[in-house]
Amino acid sequence: MPESGNYMIAGYIVVAVVVVGYVVNLWRRGK
Amino acid sequence: MPDAASAERQIRRGRAVTLIALLGLAVLYVMALQFTPPERTMGLVQKLYYVHPPAAYAMQLAFLTTGLCSLLYLLLRDERFDLFAEASAEVGMVMGMIVVITGPIWGRPAWGVWWAWEPRLTFTVLELLVFGGYFALRGAVRDPQERAKFAAVLGMMALVLVPFNHLTVYYFASQHPEPVALRAGKPALPFEMLRTFLTGFGVFTVLYIGLAMQRYGIGVRAAHQEVADA
Amino acid sequence: MSVLRVALLIAAKDLRIERRSRTALHTATLFAVLVLLTVVFARDGGSVSLLTLAPSVLWITIALSSLVALNRAFTLEREHAALEGILLAPVPRSALFLGKWLANLAFVSLVMTITFPLWILFYGVAVTPALFAVAAVALLASIGVTAIGTVFSAMAVRTRHAELLLPVLMLPFLLPPIFFAAQSTVRLLAGRPLDELWGSFRFLLLYDVAFATMAALLFPAVVDE
Repeated sequence: MPESGNYMIAGYIVVAVVVVGYVVNLWRRGK
Repeated sequence: MPDAASAERQIRRGRAVTLIALLGLAVLYVMALQFTPPERTMGLVQKLYYVHPPAAYAMQLAFLTTGLCSLLYLLLRDERFDLFAEASAEVGMVMGMIVVITGPIWGRPAWGVWWAWEPRLTFTVLELLVFGGYFALRGAVRDPQERAKFAAVLGMMALVLVPFNHLTVYYFASQHPEPVALRAGKPALPFEMLRTFLTGFGVFTVLYIGLAMQRYGIGVRAAHQEVADA
Repeated sequence: MSVLRVALLIAAKDLRIERRSRTALHTATLFAVLVLLTVVFARDGGSVSLLTLAPSVLWITIALSSLVALNRAFTLEREHAALEGILLAPVPRSALFLGKWLANLAFVSLVMTITFPLWILFYGVAVTPALFAVAAVALLASIGVTAIGTVFSAMAVRTRHAELLLPVLMLPFLLPPIFFAAQSTVRLLAGRPLDELWGSFRFLLLYDVAFATMAALLFPAVVDE
């Protein structure tokens, strides 16, 4: 269980990627 | 129909709100990863508790808003409600995606399996399917007014379905025993965890608002384009 | 003329058209039987008993056949260009909805009535009085499902890829009743006493009331220009 740090990082990266990805997508569409 | 200038205003304002939300997200990350103690028994991955439930809540907020806007559209026939319903639904789908992707990432170390039919994940899948249908319907209707009307009808049906989905998922999940209980700190959370947890909800609320505003402005602009093309 | 009377007239007209050509009924029933058979052939006979699958298969069949059955209702109208005529007449929209709904319910029930004995036969289901309760659950579930289906098929028929759209819109709404109906069926076939089933019956009843009301309220918005 302590090794689950990698999964934690993966999860936080996924959230960041999806959020930022969508923000960028909206930015482009909003041009 | 809101005019083209107000569409630009909405997009600009939405961007500003989104930027604030992104800053908040950065703060949340620092809080969660650096300044919140890990839970004793569940390992570091438990920290996904500070993003996974907030995303689920944001999805619900988004979909409920779509339902309410659908009702308002049917009652008042104001196009703005339809456009906001659509915007909210799209943001809801994105939030739902976050839930179903972080779910397995959390589940694998916590349960030993990539997927379990636990209440939150099951409910999210059901809602994503309903709103997938919402967009399928919108894509299949050419006339803008008919599209708004039909989407609103579906949106209202979807709103009524929400409590039934909750009920179903509750009984359904009791049949699929969770490999390991996932309820992180349901008994009183220590202050540092609670603080981070609530911050997550705040950040995702602002994020939803900013994203929905932008998407709404984009929708207004697209509606104008459609009228111009016709 | 009372709303109910007009509704019955509309339903009767629909079913009369059906009776003359009968293709829809034949096709829908064939489809249901084919679903039954697909599962029989898709499973490994050695390890999965048909009886274990029986409750699930019943509900999968009912769900899929309902979709097929519901689609025909408005396609029929479109072909006979009859809907415009009805809408022009001073027919209260509630009567139109009720009539369509009743016709759909009758049609779906007919398909299920023909399929039910075949299900019992092919899946080795024991013939006990519990089967009456299973049939009652099927009827109960169909009420809500056909109400929603009447509204959704009215929308879908006006779109491109209507045949594809209707299942995609409907199935998410069918999952809750399917779950509770299948739960009831499992218990009934296992000979469990009826009082264990009240929770499921209440859910199905609540579902029916909620969605029949919503469907009745929303149908006029769909058909009116």
